[in-house]
Amino acid sequence: MSRPTVCTFRLPKRNAPWPEYEDDSGWLRSKRETLSDDDPRFLRVVVTDGASESMLAGRWARHLVAVFLRAPEDLATKDGFAAAYQRAVHAWPDEVASYRREREERNTPVQWYLEPGLAKGAYATLLVAEFRCAADGRGAQWRAAAVGDSSLFQTRGDQLLRSFPFEKSTAFGNQPALLRSHGTDAAALAGNLRFDAGDLAPGDILLLATDALSAWILKSSEEGDRQWQALSGFNAGDRPGFVRLIAGLRERGELKNDDTTLVRVNAG
Amino acid sequence: MYTAEVSRSNPALFVFLVDQSLSMSDMMADPDTAQPKKDFVADAINRLLSDLSIRCAKEDGIRDYFHVALIGYGREINPAFGGALAGKGVVPIGEVATNPARIEDRSKKVPDGAGGLVEMKIKFPVWLDPVSDGGTPMSRALTLARSIVAAWLDEHPGCFPPVVLNLTDGEPTDGDPAGPARAIRELASTDGNVLLFNLHVSSNPGPAVKFPDSDAALPNQHAKALFSMSSVLPPIMLAYTRQLGYAVTEDSRSFVFNGGAEDIVKFIDIGTRPDLR
Repeated sequence: MSRPTVCTFRLPKRNAPWPEYEDDSGWLRSKRETLSDDDPRFLRVVVTDGASESMLAGRWARHLVAVFLRAPEDLATKDGFAAAYQRAVHAWPDEVASYRREREERNTPVQWYLEPGLAKGAYATLLVAEFRCAADGRGAQWRAAAVGDSSLFQTRGDQLLRSFPFEKSTAFGNQPALLRSHGTDAAALAGNLRFDAGDLAPGDILLLATDALSAWILKSSEEGDRQWQALSGFNAGDRPGFVRLIAGLRERGELKNDDTTLVRVNAG
Repeated sequence: MYTAEVSRSNPALFVFLVDQSLSMSDMMADPDTAQPKKDFVADAINRLLSDLSIRCAKEDGIRDYFHVALIGYGREINPAFGGALAGKGVVPIGEVATNPARIEDRSKKVPDGAGGLVEMKIKFPVWLDPVSDGGTPMSRALTLARSIVAAWLDEHPGCFPPVVLNLTDGEPTDGDPAGPARAIRELASTDGNVLLFNLHVSSNPGPAVKFPDSDAALPNQHAKALFSMSSVLPPIMLAYTRQLGYAVTEDSRSFVFNGGAEDIVKFIDIGTRPDLR
């Protein structure tokens, strides 16, 4: 693996403006302190999907991305993931306080109908994937952790090699596991946390996506129609093509009308 | 059918018809409730309007997924919102949420975490005040509901089918309501026929009949008439009704006879549960 490249594609749900977009994603390419000098190539990608039924879902999704991207822990372990999550939970009240302050400053203080949602907290799925290899480019691997249905697909040529955390499109439902802003006990988190890992070959493309697109990728693959391969081919200049593809799929009822995020990683 | 997206560009309509006849001042049959029927029904509607507001609330304000009409029928048949909304017919939920007639401080018992209950202060918005005066002009109320729904459908032909919820304790005093009820159920959006829910509120201690699939267990002609006026529950609401613990079949009607306090709350909840997007 040489230096992996990353492209991000996003589209809000139909008829919804960008400020209401409740997915988020981010990536960080850096040598972590915990890696030895022999492992200079490192990439971490985080994808989240805020649950629209919850209050401040988009802000919670962005908060999770910010905290997990910079977490010093090994996130592909139960303890490392739990530590990063706890830090996100502890910092959340400051985010809510900022929201209340912003409302006050706009002379639109929080009203009675917002309080129950704020008391209940925000919810989001989270997928984190790490890519690394030795200095000579050998031994390239990916490792991933997920709560909920944001997914990772490893592709090689026209083959869909791996899919994580689900293997069947029917596994996607309306009630995915979620990370809650007000905390979740350790047993519940352990019950919802999934891990996977795999070896990378030169030219492998990894697709990380939120649930609507993930379900479609698996369904497309199951039906052998190879439509999903269009996603592997998208580069930074292909954003209009991505928008056309998603809009067309939604129009034909093949893709759920939901915020849609795709992060494409070329392993190099 | 009954799968239309409920969104700001394709909102859903709920029409509440509230019996405000004199007999609504009788006490609820349930001794634990210790409230006149009119008070309990008004509280249930106020709580529902509050819940709908909260369900549509996002950090940037209220999203108008729902529009609501509230009609009282007794001595008169009129829009029943109080305060700034007085006299208004169909009102978007955002306008409802921001215009309660008043917000009362009430207390609610909640678990204290140690097996007991503790009183908690809550804000209780009020839009509907209890009224009991005059007869039960149900037929004319249903006719008014039909005209409200028909006008809505002209502008929202692809909406989740409007739901009309009729809450009453007595027999109509203005003729047979079967025709006006049928006229409501015959209206349709492209997603299905309009749904008519009927709830009979009890001041008799007899057994309740909940979401029946036949009129065999109903005690009198009046109950059987309300049964025949009620829509069959569509699959999405049938599943939710089952989830709430009611024994239902595919032929179950949106009807509760002799309903107690818990049934009233659940009945309203079931009737206002299309999926949000």
